[in-house]
Amino acid sequence: MNRFDLLNKVQNILKDNLVICNIGLPSQELYKISDQPNFFYMLGSMGLSSSIGLGLALSQNKHVISIDGDGSVLMNMNTLATIGNRAPSNYTLLIIDNGSYGSTGDQRTFTDEKTSLKDVALGAGCKNVIECSGEETINALNKAIDDKDNSYVIISKINSGNVKIDPIPLNPITIRDRFRKFIGKVKYL
Amino acid sequence: MKISKKIIDNLKKGGVDFYLSVPCKLLANMIDILENDKDVYYSAVPREEEGMGICAGAYLGNKFPCIMMQNTGIGNSVNAIVSLLQLYQMPVVFLISYRGTPGEPVGAQGGMAKITEDILQTLRIPMLHCSSEKELDKISTFSKHAKVVESPVAILCDFNLMKDDK
Repeated sequence: MNRFDLLNKVQNILKDNLVICNIGLPSQELYKISDQPNFFYMLGSMGLSSSIGLGLALSQNKHVISIDGDGSVLMNMNTLATIGNRAPSNYTLLIIDNGSYGSTGDQRTFTDEKTSLKDVALGAGCKNVIECSGEETINALNKAIDDKDNSYVIISKINSGNVKIDPIPLNPITIRDRFRKFIGKVKYL
Repeated sequence: MKISKKIIDNLKKGGVDFYLSVPCKLLANMIDILENDKDVYYSAVPREEEGMGICAGAYLGNKFPCIMMQNTGIGNSVNAIVSLLQLYQMPVVFLISYRGTPGEPVGAQGGMAKITEDILQTLRIPMLHCSSEKELDKISTFSKHAKVVESPVAILCDFNLMKDDK
């Protein structure tokens, strides 16, 4: 299973939640599978999906899923400490760990060598950390969303590989405003 | 404490209700005030760039965020400012302790001080430079301006203004 297969599998869960989706191929693939106003596609700032989702979860009550990658988490690893200490129960970080920098040509990341993001997350103070296969990710996500007392970090171990895809045609303000409208914060659209 | 209290009062008057900080000794009093303020959210964060991401999310959730940091933090955050906050036109207040300005005892702070305003100008970020207590009165209007123009704005507080705020 690669990232596109996994996003296909979990799309129905994503549709019912606020989603912050990582820059590059993850956002492009999700857009192709099913575009929704409650999906915030990152067009820049690699590494910050987990942080944007955390700020959003701290600011309103709907459940937030940050879709991140192993390469991106490695770039902003302090985020796991902040999540371990501050994440509210309406927050789930889904790390799609394919051991490669998919958007830049599938170069190997350190999770394909010695680094375990599960161990890093646990050491950073995250209490509920699930490392699972692509197939098990639906159950892990449902568990995280159903638990009203705890936040979760899910590390979904899948294969690398991408599908041929186009850039997202939406402009950033459209992405921003329809997302805020969905939450009920924009009245003028 | 008087200066720090005035800054926080003015930020709150400007509508700011979500605060992060990467600590600086010049920000210590403000952090104390915020940790005891039940009306707003406050947390420390390990790195400024990450803080920019959290502020972006807070804005999406209808908060008006502020990140407090040393001027060195701007250097850590340039891509997040341009490719996230400015790309999506998100108002965030940067409350910056301006290390390396006159009065600063640590010589090594001078390097970032020399280029801080140049960086902010290059980024086209509106600046409010506070070197005396009187200028702090402009903070609430300046914060509201961030929302009007949908942009991050920067408030620079000089070393000598903050250092004796016991």
